[in-house]
Amino acid sequence: MLPIDIISCKMVLQLFLICTFNFSGLLLLPMNTEPDYSASPKSTPMRVLVTGGTGLVGRAIQHVVREERGIREGEEWIFLSSTDANLMDAGETREVFQKHQPTHVIHLAAMVGGLFKNMRANLDFWRNNIYINDNVLQAAHEVDAVQVVSCLSTCIFPDKTTYPIDETMIHNGPPHKSNFGYSYAKRMLNVYNSAYHDQERGRFYTAVIPTNVFGPHDNFNIKDGHVLPGLIHKAYIAQKEGSPLVVWGSGTPRRQFIYSLDLARLFLWVLTEYKEVEPIILSVGEEEEVSIKEAAEAVVEVMRFKGQVTYDTAKADGQFKKTASNAKLRQYCPNFTFTPFKQALKETCDWFVANYDSARK
Amino acid sequence: MKLCVCVCVCVCVCVSVCACACACVCVRCCVRALLRACVAACVRCCVRALLRALVCILRDAGETREVFQKHQPTHVIHLAAMVGGLFKNMRANLDFWRNNIYINDNVLQAAHEVDAVRVVSCLSTCIFPDKTTYPIDETMIHNGPPHKSNFGYSYAKRMLDVYNRAYHDQERGRFYTAVIPTNVFGPHDNFNIKDGHVLPGLIHKAYIAQKEGSPLVVWGSGTPRRQFIYSLDLARLFLWVLTEYQEVEPIILSVGEEEEVSIKEAAEAVVEVMRFKGQVTYDTTKADGQFKKTASNAKLRQYCPSFTFTPFKQALKETCDWFVANYDSARK
Repeated sequence: MLPIDIISCKMVLQLFLICTFNFSGLLLLPMNTEPDYSASPKSTPMRVLVTGGTGLVGRAIQHVVREERGIREGEEWIFLSSTDANLMDAGETREVFQKHQPTHVIHLAAMVGGLFKNMRANLDFWRNNIYINDNVLQAAHEVDAVQVVSCLSTCIFPDKTTYPIDETMIHNGPPHKSNFGYSYAKRMLNVYNSAYHDQERGRFYTAVIPTNVFGPHDNFNIKDGHVLPGLIHKAYIAQKEGSPLVVWGSGTPRRQFIYSLDLARLFLWVLTEYKEVEPIILSVGEEEEVSIKEAAEAVVEVMRFKGQVTYDTAKADGQFKKTASNAKLRQYCPNFTFTPFKQALKETCDWFVANYDSARK
Repeated sequence: MKLCVCVCVCVCVCVSVCACACACVCVRCCVRALLRACVAACVRCCVRALLRALVCILRDAGETREVFQKHQPTHVIHLAAMVGGLFKNMRANLDFWRNNIYINDNVLQAAHEVDAVRVVSCLSTCIFPDKTTYPIDETMIHNGPPHKSNFGYSYAKRMLDVYNRAYHDQERGRFYTAVIPTNVFGPHDNFNIKDGHVLPGLIHKAYIAQKEGSPLVVWGSGTPRRQFIYSLDLARLFLWVLTEYQEVEPIILSVGEEEEVSIKEAAEAVVEVMRFKGQVTYDTTKADGQFKKTASNAKLRQYCPSFTFTPFKQALKETCDWFVANYDSARK
């Protein structure tokens, strides 16, 4: 009897599909032996690709780049939308990156949604976002982009935690169960960044962690959107119909809100000045945290809503608080001034009313 | 076919050179030795090629779906992964992360699409938080970052637990689950010294050291501690989980905490079983990896109070005997 120990393909692929592999000497994905990326950055003008470029934050970056900062000579800014490429498809993603050859990437594209949408589809949020993130980061690496800034969120932090949360605490426990699919997918962006830095000798891909973002061009869908745009839209309808404004939940959970234009300004600073792989929280201070009730009252004031406000406590509250520290941001940017909340809210409401027909809802 | 060609060539060459009875004996010996070598080489090539093919299948969503559609499994034991010892992980965290995420996503989704009622995936105690209290248990998987040496592999494995919860959450009651073995060892392991795990690495090194009359060099200080589970014991428990364990939450499959041994003690056991007579040294310039990963098997003991693990030295002896008997064809 020959000392043969062959595992036949047919045997392995029977009912139990039991197979164990060791990849000694085998690499499924191209293993780069690229030069050291920690060398000084290229001096050529930036060619910046923004994924999710027509969403809430993407539009804000467009505005800040064009109206405030200006596009420098030789620079190119490309704002992708979902019609340009399906980022869940590796081939399409690679193709669009090969086409534009970005030197810098702001990665905003994601499957996003408010509390109730997340609760319905944790699996889809997890899988879709992992595919998008993997495709974008690998495509960026393959075209030798020197910087990728991805976007996390304070909603991904551990549910059971001390406060305020900070950048070191992302992986210190399971996230809130309502959106664990989205949360883990976003957390894994930090893993990607660490892994690219670790294996690809110095890739400095990084991520920012905004708190709740709001502003023009948001998704104002009541069922699937986030809390502030949802309140604005409901107030608009309630005003027109003469009906009560019904706030979902008890109104007691607390949030820090960051205006999309402020976030865009900070994104541009991170893109060129922030040199860490570790992420950075972009947020107003802890003292700016408001309850959902206070946010609703601010919407009522700004929209000049005169009707009744009620609270549907049968609806889920979501996470009670996610208070984040912006101490790291303040160390880097002690003088950055955030737009006052009510001013930012007014600009957002005015935009929504003026663009009601075309607004995403 | 490659095997037949090799045999034919060997016979022709040997017979044309030898003429007498002694030479015939030599020819037979030569032929047997050459046959063994050719077959062993062919087997290794075939196994590696087969493994590569299977891995490529699971790394590709379409091919994975195709093989699941073909076989329509009702139950799946999902063991496929990119694996390796400490030093291989340290070199390739990105590859470990990406390859394993793709494999896991493809297998679980393909199983779901053919309506498999059960998928049992395989985690590992090496994925637990590095900074933690001991013993670790099933509730602690996500309570902090894993050891930095293998964070890519660890996070990919942790995400299997996320998949299981998400399928249960969104797909109305899918009971896909996972087991968490401690360090597995046994016949058919990967005995590659550079890329394999610690016990098979020690066995292989002891074998070579014995043959060459050189010292057995243990990488690291020998102080880290591990619980080892024999592959046959793990297999018996896997079959129990497949049909009897009805939770989405994972379950640790391990010997008890009191069975934990240091790498030094494991090396000494290998020396004893292999009857190695040479010197044993410790290369402390090499990384130790995580100091301990002591896991509680209390949940397993609640379910299976009477399960008996194979004694460590007996399991080690069976493994070493297998390795020596199958040296030519063993993965290394």
